[in-house]
Amino acid sequence: MAVLEKSEMMRLAEAAVENCLKKGAGEAEVYVYEGQATNVGIELGQISKSNRIIDKGLGIRVAVNKAIGFAYTNIIEDESATEDVISRAINAAKASKPDPDWRGLPEKRPYIFAEKTYDNRILELRAEDLVDIASQMLDSASGVNKRVFPIEGGAGASYLSTAIANSNGISIFDKGTMIECSLAAVAKEGNTVTPVCFEFNAERNYNIDPAWVGKETGRIAASALKTKRIETKNTKIIFTQFALQELFYYTLMNAVKADDVQRNQSPFKDKIGEKVAAENITIYDDGLIPGGLRTWTFDGEGSPHQKTPLIERGILRNFLYDNYTAKKEGRESTGNASRSGYLSTPEIEATNFHVIPGTAPADQIISEMDDGLIIYYLQGAHSSNPVSGEFSVVATPAWEVRKGEIGHSTRGVMLAGNMFELLKNVSMIADNERKMGQLVSSWILVENVRVIGK
Amino acid sequence: MRDLLNHIIEAAVTKFGAEYAETRAQTLYKTMLTLKEGRVEAAKQGIENGVAIRVLVNGSWGFASVGSLNPEVLMNAASDACKMAKTASSRQKTPIKLAEIKAVEDSVCLRPEKNPHEIQVQDKIKTALAINKTTLSYDKRVRSCTIDYLDLTGNSHLLTSEGTAIDQDKLYVWSRITASAKSKGTSTFSREEIGSTQGYELFDKQTPEKIGTAVAKRAVEQLEAKSPRGGASAVVLGPEVVGVFVHEAFGHLAEADLALSGGVLASTLGKKVASEVVTFYDDGTINGAFGSFKYDDEGVQTQRTLLIKDGVVTGLMHNRETAKKLNTAPTGNARAEDFRVEPIIRMRNTYMSPRDHSFEELIESVKLGYYFKSFRGGQANLDGTFQVGIQEAYEIVDGEIGEPVRNASICGNTLETLFKVDAVGKDFELSSGRCGKGQTAFIGDGGPHIKLKEVTVGGSA
Repeated sequence: MAVLEKSEMMRLAEAAVENCLKKGAGEAEVYVYEGQATNVGIELGQISKSNRIIDKGLGIRVAVNKAIGFAYTNIIEDESATEDVISRAINAAKASKPDPDWRGLPEKRPYIFAEKTYDNRILELRAEDLVDIASQMLDSASGVNKRVFPIEGGAGASYLSTAIANSNGISIFDKGTMIECSLAAVAKEGNTVTPVCFEFNAERNYNIDPAWVGKETGRIAASALKTKRIETKNTKIIFTQFALQELFYYTLMNAVKADDVQRNQSPFKDKIGEKVAAENITIYDDGLIPGGLRTWTFDGEGSPHQKTPLIERGILRNFLYDNYTAKKEGRESTGNASRSGYLSTPEIEATNFHVIPGTAPADQIISEMDDGLIIYYLQGAHSSNPVSGEFSVVATPAWEVRKGEIGHSTRGVMLAGNMFELLKNVSMIADNERKMGQLVSSWILVENVRVIGK
Repeated sequence: MRDLLNHIIEAAVTKFGAEYAETRAQTLYKTMLTLKEGRVEAAKQGIENGVAIRVLVNGSWGFASVGSLNPEVLMNAASDACKMAKTASSRQKTPIKLAEIKAVEDSVCLRPEKNPHEIQVQDKIKTALAINKTTLSYDKRVRSCTIDYLDLTGNSHLLTSEGTAIDQDKLYVWSRITASAKSKGTSTFSREEIGSTQGYELFDKQTPEKIGTAVAKRAVEQLEAKSPRGGASAVVLGPEVVGVFVHEAFGHLAEADLALSGGVLASTLGKKVASEVVTFYDDGTINGAFGSFKYDDEGVQTQRTLLIKDGVVTGLMHNRETAKKLNTAPTGNARAEDFRVEPIIRMRNTYMSPRDHSFEELIESVKLGYYFKSFRGGQANLDGTFQVGIQEAYEIVDGEIGEPVRNASICGNTLETLFKVDAVGKDFELSSGRCGKGQTAFIGDGGPHIKLKEVTVGGSA
């Protein structure tokens, strides 16, 4: 794949910053983006499509008398288009209202460079290679059990690069790669269809295991066929990473955002130094974990990525800041300004939300459990109350754990509770860490969770 | 541009071996605002230009998207798409075929009363500030207010190797308002979403005062609310909750791609899956509704599709591929978010038809239960498991609406639950929303008030 050179992207960014200032912007920041992705898709159980998406663009943020304007375009190899975007950004700022709390764009600070985030082999990958990956996955899923039916999924390779320049002298470039494969399947027997079960593997270097993904998807789907009803009770629950990712994203990850704290939307406001979770919980936001899915050298406004302690042995230590919220408190950004490509202004997001693993092997946690549930997939986490942390979700499905063994699955079980109470009832953390989106975590065992059976 | 795209399509068919080729060239303009407690985070404006090229080669799809109108870039993309389709077809058992449609040449021009593209950013900020002011001044316990605003205008130009040539304007105005309130250690959260394909006149109906009051009032009311009892209960659902139930719990299962993937509606055509008071439509023809348009992204004219009539499944939502597979006609449900992605089966405005009960009759018929008025999100699974989170709820005691209840949710199996609909109201309301299925689609959903004999309510008490 031909991609834009580092020098070319940086030149574009720097020239546009100059141009903004010439045209009357007080401050300017230019974000140049290139994303290229090749995907092979599985539909209705077979490989049936392939696509290539090339998306480039630039987003310009300017300040005029403390009012902020932003404009973007996806036409970057044309100077008149860039001129036009600059004018639009400045006009937008002029139309907007000054923000008395605006204290300028980020200043230049030293960077620690991201490691293991780029692999040239991924860039060179052809659609044929992705077809091979997808077929391996399909074959091993169907090999598990005749009742397993793969539905959808695929394999994809992508390249992403960004350059950021601003009027405070920041000028920096980073590039990275990602390869992933995923499969969703159901198992069928007679009139019974299981909920959709899925697995995936995503890495920054060319090191994925499609056969494992297929096998694991098949295993989980097949094991969901036999079902049993359970009664309403309070019980122990093992949350796997799938469930944690959903629940954390809509509750805990918001509560540690400085923006939510400053705006009275976080239950963690005024709680720095206080106990907010069980003692076995330590969480870092670490944008520099080697090979992490969200590892980059800098964030969406050019601030260096770093490792930020959020909760240490249950004690709340810090929040996640972008440049704006940090300056409001007279401190430095934690490098958590995130962008969805060139189309948006930065917003605070976790990078790699790292729950430090425990020492208990996953098997041991199950074998020591007398009565409880293990949860993979959840539905409805997005309907949680983001301010209070209250959730009411359904497990699709859950599996019963009885006398040290995983037993029947159970459908339609609802879990209700409050994330911030739940954090205090974590009794064990396993040692089976994996990366899933922003989350890097192991299974966690929580005591006394309310489940509503049927 | 049309000549250039025709040339690309011709090359895909004659040089690169495509059985079918289409190009979708789009120019999109967006204005976005985010306000937090009246602070304008940034006024944002964007332009996007790009072409999607989709081809069918040896029964497999190839797709390429580029942000360019450069002839050479487009020709490479077409060649790429065909090559990739060929590669994908190497392991394919059942080649994809498309249902036949009549080629259409048409031009769809929208003439909004108030074109958002022509309204000054200052005026849009003024509207958002008015919503903010109403929300925050409603009660001093309202602590925060976030307003997101988006308008999207532009044009989509579809050409196919079968002779379809459709030039269609696009217009969407959307806003989401959230507020939180806090008192004595209790925190609440409230959300409203509005949208239209008509124009900026949306705010003449959904005035800043009306929408700001609604969002603030709900946040404050919940402060005094209690948790629901978990377990089975009789419930009355408001039009907004009925809408999300129809969309999430049933609608997704009636998308033919998901039905064919092993969903529970796969072999239910002509079968009774609901009580006889249940009739569902997916309708792209409602003027101004958020999920309406004239042609889908495969060039099929939109329609009003009957999904369930008096409890019996009458149809699914199709694109050309699934229609061919199930030997029926496409329903105009193939939609792509933009030129970066392929069209997939999406809903339009999905709703339940009203019947004959008054709201009072529905409430009176419940001895002990809940009235669920407004939702906070919903989700469904192919096996029919659904969950809908509720952001505004009340107890019903002895046939009367009682105290407010917070953070409830309902869950169950769609097909079991549809049989439990035992009374349907005569009112009707349609709401606007966005639906995620890998891509975002603007949709509408709604219906009348209804009563469910029994559903599982999730609650912590």
